[in-house]
Amino acid sequence: MIELEQITKQYPGQAMPAVDKLFLSIPKGEICVLVGPSGCGKSTILRMINRMIEPTSGIVKINGEDVTRTDPDQLRMGIGYVIQQIGLLPHRTIAENIAIVPRLYKWPKEKIRKRVDELIVMMGLDLEKTRGKYPAQLSGGQMQRVGVARAMAVDPPIMLMDEPFGAVDPIARTHLQDELLRLQKEIKKTIVFVTHDINEAIKMGDRIAIFDAGKLVQFGTPEEILTNPINEFVEDFIGRDRVVKKLNLYLAEDAMQPIGCVVKGNELHTAAQKMKDAGAEVAFLLNEEGKACGQITVSDTEEFGRDIEGLRKRVLRTEKAFVQTTTPFPDALSLLLEYDTDYLGILKGEELCGMLSFKGIRKHVYRKEGE
Amino acid sequence: MTLSDFTSFLMKNSKTIMEYSENHFTLVLLAVGISLAIWVPVGLLLTKSDKWAARVLALANTIFCIPSLSMFAILVTIPMFGLGRKSALLALVLYAMMPLIRSVYDGVKNVDRNVIEAARGMGMGTRRILIEILVPLGMPIIFAGFRITVVMTTGIAAIATYIGERNLGRFIQEGLIRSNTPMMVTGALIISVIAIGLDTILGLVEKRIVPKGLRISR
Repeated sequence: MIELEQITKQYPGQAMPAVDKLFLSIPKGEICVLVGPSGCGKSTILRMINRMIEPTSGIVKINGEDVTRTDPDQLRMGIGYVIQQIGLLPHRTIAENIAIVPRLYKWPKEKIRKRVDELIVMMGLDLEKTRGKYPAQLSGGQMQRVGVARAMAVDPPIMLMDEPFGAVDPIARTHLQDELLRLQKEIKKTIVFVTHDINEAIKMGDRIAIFDAGKLVQFGTPEEILTNPINEFVEDFIGRDRVVKKLNLYLAEDAMQPIGCVVKGNELHTAAQKMKDAGAEVAFLLNEEGKACGQITVSDTEEFGRDIEGLRKRVLRTEKAFVQTTTPFPDALSLLLEYDTDYLGILKGEELCGMLSFKGIRKHVYRKEGE
Repeated sequence: MTLSDFTSFLMKNSKTIMEYSENHFTLVLLAVGISLAIWVPVGLLLTKSDKWAARVLALANTIFCIPSLSMFAILVTIPMFGLGRKSALLALVLYAMMPLIRSVYDGVKNVDRNVIEAARGMGMGTRRILIEILVPLGMPIIFAGFRITVVMTTGIAAIATYIGERNLGRFIQEGLIRSNTPMMVTGALIISVIAIGLDTILGLVEKRIVPKGLRISR
């Protein structure tokens, strides 16, 4: 756990302190995102944790211990540090770059080699091709993977990340974010993550701290902040579309409803009756292998009546109108609009396990809003 | 002057040529050695303070502007130094100040600040950063300055003949006085060959000394 107690940073010659009497306690094993407009002091706060900057007054504690009691170099060796500009040593190979902190700890060569290989693979880079390369030979996204790997080399319990994905292209950024989240599920590190992008904050943060002009404005889970922005500044900062942003917090399975009715491929003519019996508005069609391959609505059966082949064609138009249990709401909504349907089947792997509706999504978001 | 005049001069004076060359080399070697020992640390130190860097670099520039004959003349008048090697060495070391300090300072200052920031953030100490990062990454610029210093020192050392150094410059000086063309040409040629030779060798070393990662691109 990281605790900041009454931290103030006043730069000489500046009227306002960069950070003003800040109290913040960052729980263990979570990603805490510091977010705010440029110059709000978020990077300064981050850099005071590993003593790259010393506070003017106040105490930073890690697991209850004042950081100024530890030698700065020793302290930093035990904290992963990733910056936007990455700062790989251009004259060292990728393997040598990752090995920097293990070398500072004087690990035996064999142990370093093993760990470096493990990290290169973990970061999704090609081991044989990457190990001996120099930073200049990698793309921006690959370099930042190496940057993250380097910070994790000695498996530090705390990682500080200063706009780590700010300089990579949007596609690579999404990848890196997703991978960090996936990794975090296993490694459970305490991560302090600085960004100016509220969307990134909502995506990455277990908790978000919003800053303005050196002061903490609001601290809470993304849901809390999107639901109850504390003042106008936060409201403006998260944007008018805060409810739409909130959709990102939920997955298809959160609003999953049970399936009312399924129809096998060879019994399409019984669909209307089956749906009537089950009281369902929609049925899902299964093919010979038992895989879901489309949906039938009551109005479809009425429109086509006895024209089974016409009905089949209509049903197969929605062949791809399915989401996974882990699909976030916005993607699901997009599919609903694309296929102009009211329902989507939810798959777990290949197996049909439920369905999602417009109404269900609305109800789910509304329920959360009311909490 | 014919070629035979020239070769006969070489044959007759081979002993003197050897002696002068040796003196010349010794002076250059000493001057470059002392210069490195003093100016490299000074250059590194200056990277810590922009204010002092500006002052010292201005001083070095000023010294560099003094014509070499004037410099030798001035130093000779200082009782502690007088005619001879001490004055010669001091002059050469003073001339080396500008290229060496400048290149060390620029070399280190040009290292990407983010690399240093990242290294510091990982817990690398000041000494480690200097040895493992600043020097290797600054090396291309530093070495270029060193190369210039060596060549320049070789040239200026010849002029020290006027304050009593018995080196290759003396052939030129005496050759001029006596209108002895073979003598003049011998001095001029040997000095030039040495300077060009040193520069070529250092050029080859330079290629090897630049870290591989800096030479490589996608």
